[in-house]
Amino acid sequence: MDFKFTEEQVQFREEVKEFVTTEKEKGIFPFGNNCWMHLSSMEFSKEVAKNGLIGIAWPKEHGGRGMGYVDRVIMLEEMFRAGAPVAYHFMADRQVAPGIIHFGSDFLKKEFLPKIRNAEVCFCLLFSEPDAGSDLANCRTTAVEEGDYYIVNGQKVWTSNGHIADYGWALVKTNLDPAVSRYNAFSEMVIDMKSPGVTVRPLINSAGAHSFNEVYFDNVKVPKEYLVGTKDNGFRQIMTNLDFERAGIERLMQNSLTLDSLKDYVKTNDKGGKPLSQDPLIRDSIAKLEIEFEVGKLFIYYVASLLDKGKIPSYEAAMGKTFCTLYEAKLADVATTLMGLPGLLMPGSPEAPCNGMACEDYLWSPSYTLQGGVVEVLKNIVAQRGLKLGRKKK
Amino acid sequence: MDFNFNEEQQMVYDSTKKFFEKETSGTLLRELMEDDKGYSPEVWKKMAELGWMGLLFKEEYGGFEGSFLDFALILEGMGKSAMPSPFLSTVILTGLIIQDNGSEELKKEYLPKIAEGECISTLAFLGRKGLYSKSELELEAKQVNGGYRISGAASFVPYAHVADNILCAAKTTDSEGVTLFILDGKAAGIETINLHSISGKGVDCLVNFKDVQATPAQIVGEAGKGWEYIEAQWPKVAVALSCECVGGMDRVMEMTLNHVNERIQFGKPLSALQVVQHMCVDMAMKLETSRHTAHYAAWQVNEGLDCTKEAAIAKSWCGEAFKVVTKIGHQLTGGIGFSEEFDLFLYTRNAKKLELLFGDGSFQRAIVADNIGL
Repeated sequence: MDFKFTEEQVQFREEVKEFVTTEKEKGIFPFGNNCWMHLSSMEFSKEVAKNGLIGIAWPKEHGGRGMGYVDRVIMLEEMFRAGAPVAYHFMADRQVAPGIIHFGSDFLKKEFLPKIRNAEVCFCLLFSEPDAGSDLANCRTTAVEEGDYYIVNGQKVWTSNGHIADYGWALVKTNLDPAVSRYNAFSEMVIDMKSPGVTVRPLINSAGAHSFNEVYFDNVKVPKEYLVGTKDNGFRQIMTNLDFERAGIERLMQNSLTLDSLKDYVKTNDKGGKPLSQDPLIRDSIAKLEIEFEVGKLFIYYVASLLDKGKIPSYEAAMGKTFCTLYEAKLADVATTLMGLPGLLMPGSPEAPCNGMACEDYLWSPSYTLQGGVVEVLKNIVAQRGLKLGRKKK
Repeated sequence: MDFNFNEEQQMVYDSTKKFFEKETSGTLLRELMEDDKGYSPEVWKKMAELGWMGLLFKEEYGGFEGSFLDFALILEGMGKSAMPSPFLSTVILTGLIIQDNGSEELKKEYLPKIAEGECISTLAFLGRKGLYSKSELELEAKQVNGGYRISGAASFVPYAHVADNILCAAKTTDSEGVTLFILDGKAAGIETINLHSISGKGVDCLVNFKDVQATPAQIVGEAGKGWEYIEAQWPKVAVALSCECVGGMDRVMEMTLNHVNERIQFGKPLSALQVVQHMCVDMAMKLETSRHTAHYAAWQVNEGLDCTKEAAIAKSWCGEAFKVVTKIGHQLTGGIGFSEEFDLFLYTRNAKKLELLFGDGSFQRAIVADNIGL
C-alpha cells in the first residue's frame, strides 16, 4: 500500500490547475455543473487540446501521452472541481478513442485519433433505443451490408449532445438471423451525423434543458471501413468499453460546485445572529457529504489504479459508479434542503443563492443514477461478476 | 498509487488470519463473554510472542519500530476473529502515550514489559456518562505533602480489573488541565467493578479511586497536559478501530454469502433472488469503501502526516458501515442468524461497540466539519 502521488503527478496536477484557472478567468467559457454532459465549447476544447490534455492516457504510438489512468483522474478531478466545459471532446476522449485504439482498424485510427486529440470533432454515443435501455441487447437498429456500405435503419434515444456531434458511436444489429444469440448479433460503428437520412430531434429533459435527443436513421449509408473491430462482436466490445466509461470521476464530481456553494452559503448566512455553519445539525449534514465525497474519490482512484495495473475493473467500476452517483443525487437534495426556501430559487431568479445552482442540480439529479447504467443494473453486475451470486449450483 | 499489499503486508495479513483461525473458536468466544477476565491469557501470551505488543515501540524499549500499516492489518485480523483482548488499551492507550510523552525512566520501566506481554494496562479517562470530553472527567488529584491523592470515579475502563497498570487522567488542583498518572492496578484505594456490557461481563469496568497515592515520578509527561496527550493518540486509535471494523465486516460478509448460497427456498438458493443480490452488494460496497478508507488513513499515520480529518472520516464511515453490514446480515440470515449458535451475534455486538468507541459517527463528523472550515 502506498497512496502517495509521484512527484510528476503532483506537478501534473498543478499544471492542470493552472490551466483551468487561467481559462476560467478569461470569463468567456461556460463553467458550471454537469459540464461533461451539458457545457460544450469547441473553443475551450481546443485550448485543452493545445495544452496536451486530450488523449493523455492513450499510448504514445497513437498520439497520446502514454500516461496512466490515475493521471487521467488527477486531470479530471481538477477540471471538474472548476466545472470546466469539457462536453465537446469528453465522450471522444473517454470512450471513442480507447474503443478505436482497442478494436479499430488502422484506417479508423488514422482518420479519427488526430481529430479527437485536436478537438476537431465531437462524438455522441448511439446506444439506447426506445425498447433497449437497461436491456441493451434488445436494440433494433439494423445495419445491412450493401456493396461498400452498411445501410442503417432505426432509432436511438437519450442521445446526449446528438445535436452538436459530428459523429456518432453506434451499436447496430448486423446479424439478423433469429437463430443467432443476440449477444453475437451486434457491431459497433462510427456514423457521420451529417449523412443523408440522419434526423436529430431535441428532447427537453426534466430540468428544462436540451441535453439529449432522439436520432432517426432512414437508409443511412455508412462506409464499411467505419465498422469498428469485428463484425457481430460489438456487444462484447461495448461491455469492455463500459467498464472504462463507468470508472470515471465525472460520476462523483459533475456537481461538485454545489458542495462548494453549500459550504459557502452556510458560512455567509446566519440564523438568529449565528452563522448557519455553527448549527450542529447543519455541520453534521455537510460533514456527511464531505465524508461520502472523500470515500468515493478514494474508490475512483482505486479503480484507476487497477486499470494502470492492466486489470479490467468490471465489478469495481460498477461499484464505484453506484456509490458515487448515489452520493451526487444526495448532494443536490441535502443542499437544497439546508438552504431552505432560497434553495428553491432557479438560476436567473432574483435572490437565488449561488445563482440557483443547488435547485438546478436537484432537477438534474434523477439522471445521475440512470446514465451509463442504472444503479440496479450495476448492482446486478457487482452481484454476478464480483460476488458470484446467482450462479447455478453444481 | 498502489492500493495493494506489498509482500510484507501480505505476509502480516495472512499470518494474522492464520493465527486467529487457529486460536479462535466459537466456543472460546462464547466462553469469554461470560468469563470474569474477559480475555484469554493463553492467546495473549502467543500474541506477545509474535511481537505484536512491541511492534510500534522503539528498539531501545524492547520494540520493533514496525510499520503502522502492519499494525493496522493485525487489528483487521483481530476484528475479523472477534477475539477480545486488552490489546489497544495496553499498546496505544498506555504504551504509545508513555513512549511519546513519558520520562526516560517510565519508558524503560513500562515499555519492555508491555512488549513482552508481561503487562496489561488501560486508560481511565471517562466519567460515568461515558462522554469523550475533558469537562466530564470525574477524577481529581489533590496535592498533599509533595505527592498526590487521586479520588473520584472513572467508567468504561476496559480490563481495569485485570490490569497491572492503570493510566489515569485526573484534574489537578495545582495546574490547569488534566494530568496523567501511571498507577499500579492494585494500588490501595482502587476498586474495580465489572460492568456487564454488550461485549460481555469481563471487559468494561467502573473504577472507584479513594485517596490513591501517587508521586510526581508517576506523572506521564508534563502535569496539566494529559488531555492533549490523549487527543494526540486519537487518530491512531480511530484508525485502529476502523481496521477492526473492516475485519469484522469481512467476516460477516463471508458468513452471509455462505448462507444465501446454501439456503434453498422456492426451489433455489436465496442468492438467485435479485433483491437478495442487491442487499449483498450493499454490504460489499460498505466493506470495500471502508477498507480503502481505513487503509488510506493508516497509511497517513504511518507517513507521519496530519490525518485528523482522514482518521475521523475512517472512523465515522467504518463504524457506521460495520453496523449496517450486521443489520443486512441479520435480515439475510433470518432465524438462524438470530440464534446463539450462529456466530453473527458476536459481530453484531462488536459492531455496535465499535460504532461508539472513541466517538460515534456524529462525533467524528464534528471533527471533519472543523477541518473543512465550517
